[in-house]
Amino acid sequence: MLAANDWLTIALAKGRILPSSLSLFTAAGIDCSSIASDTRKLIFRLEAEKLQFILAKPTDIPTYVEYGAADLGVVGKDILLEQEKELYELLDLKLGACRLSVAQKAEKTGATWGSSVTYVATKYPNLAKRHFLKKGRQVEIIKLHGSIELAPLLNLADVIVDLVSTGKTLRENNLVEAEVIAQITARLVANPGSYQVKAERVMALVQQLEKVL
Amino acid sequence: MTEVLKRRQIPEGVRDLLPDLAGQKRKLEEFIQQVFSRWGYREVSTPAFEYSEIFAADLKAGLENSIYRFPDEQGRMLVLRPDFTLPIARVVAVHFAEGPLPLRLCYGGEIFRYAGGLQGKQRALTQAGVELMGDATPGSDAEVVALAAAVLQEAGLDEFTLCLGHVGFLDLLLAAYDLLPQDVEKIKLLFNKKDFVTLKEMVTKLKISEQAKESIMQIPLLRGGVEVLTKARALLPAGANVQPLELLQEIWSVLEDYKVTQFVTLDLGMVRMMNYYTGMVFEGYTNGLGYPLCGGGRYDQLLTNFGCELSAVGFAVSLDHLLTVLTRQKKLPELLEPLFVAFDESGRENAIATAQTLRRQGAVVIVDLKAATYEEAFQAGCRLGATRLLYCTDNDIFDADLDRGQV
Repeated sequence: MLAANDWLTIALAKGRILPSSLSLFTAAGIDCSSIASDTRKLIFRLEAEKLQFILAKPTDIPTYVEYGAADLGVVGKDILLEQEKELYELLDLKLGACRLSVAQKAEKTGATWGSSVTYVATKYPNLAKRHFLKKGRQVEIIKLHGSIELAPLLNLADVIVDLVSTGKTLRENNLVEAEVIAQITARLVANPGSYQVKAERVMALVQQLEKVL
Repeated sequence: MTEVLKRRQIPEGVRDLLPDLAGQKRKLEEFIQQVFSRWGYREVSTPAFEYSEIFAADLKAGLENSIYRFPDEQGRMLVLRPDFTLPIARVVAVHFAEGPLPLRLCYGGEIFRYAGGLQGKQRALTQAGVELMGDATPGSDAEVVALAAAVLQEAGLDEFTLCLGHVGFLDLLLAAYDLLPQDVEKIKLLFNKKDFVTLKEMVTKLKISEQAKESIMQIPLLRGGVEVLTKARALLPAGANVQPLELLQEIWSVLEDYKVTQFVTLDLGMVRMMNYYTGMVFEGYTNGLGYPLCGGGRYDQLLTNFGCELSAVGFAVSLDHLLTVLTRQKKLPELLEPLFVAFDESGRENAIATAQTLRRQGAVVIVDLKAATYEEAFQAGCRLGATRLLYCTDNDIFDADLDRGQV
């Protein structure tokens, strides 16, 4: 699918940050009411604004934008850090604020390092590997797709790298945050092609959004 | 895996081009070389691999991990060319340093890089480009940009943007503030990646005046037509060198004469990947393609690598990306459809004579390999995708339109 020339296509992540993304665009003067009411549909065209929203899995947003199927995307910094695509990061939308942290069993604090290999369970294998490599630590990354907190409890891993917002899930599973890797919020990203070819519309939208942040 | 299965594979990042794409790509390459040639650029061809020393500047520019290297029989390191600019610079330094200037050269062929970055997932990429050597005036900058516009336009793209910047502007603006060299490098890197979120975080923390911070954060907004240059001048402190802005102004005015400014956006925050650029830089983009279609700029120091003082400006267009875009927009060059010449037991001489005459006139003609009945010939012609059947007997020719694809 090729984004039409005078239309702007924005890929939004389904799930946790969708409602706040939509409120933000609404606050910036784009009527998104048609999107909130129908969650099965994946493409929403706003004829008057010549704007098209597509809804996709959060981890797929960078791909849609990279290939130019969408001009812009709203996506968490965690996913950007993990995928390392060549996308332009135009704006911090300050949505879905949380942090990306290393966590471990509460009773193990401080004792994790010093063993030859540390096993790290995470949804973010690239990011985790880069983080520990930078520190010169030897780790083996175990990629999981969800319920990461289980891994240390079952001794599958020594530590986990995951998103932490309130810390409640960690506490309930007797885990503690050992280190914050990065502060995470949702970002507005563009591919270089759309950023240049649709420069005026992209800049106007960035300024509209900036005003209501 | 069996040996046979292994023999049927090809490595990641390279591909076979089948009919008709291979022919269309060849035609597009020829077409682009013709455009270069009409602008007075003469083709040079350099080896696919060279000594690794040639590419020292590429290595410094961050291509270190994406270059194919292997030793020759004496252990001297060879490199599969990752780039044409350096081999052409070598050719000029060796063969043309004393010759008449300016020198207009063009090239086309494959470059090889491990996948990643702005190249997408391909490891062998076809480029075509030009180098204009020995002239440092804005006229040569403008000619190269105008030629890039001509190539994209004549290839059939009606919507594309060439964004034009100058590596000196950012340097000058940043030099005006009391910044550490490593902070300057970091800011330039963030501009290159257009990571404005991190840029903002970083600039906010710098120990410089609020006005200076404001100026740096204004740079991403310096995009648009020639009016951008006035805004840019206002950001520079009084008495600063405005030469980069004056140069862009002059380039713009030449591009106005070429009537291509509708395709040009000035972008003063632009930083090209390769750090050998010394002046004007540009990149070409089109709708629906995340990667640049073409890119180039001025690199006046590059030839000193080869012991030669010569200013140079050039650009390369990515045939692969151009082909992708033209395919999507259904604007690929059209290939001629074949005629099918068949014959009965006595008609071979007539058939071959007819085919040769048509071929000399430029038609695409497929001749049947053995005598056939008219019905057999008709069916065979359809299978071949021919548009017309010429069925020859010893003294006659029967002509039939073939419905393509129907057997």
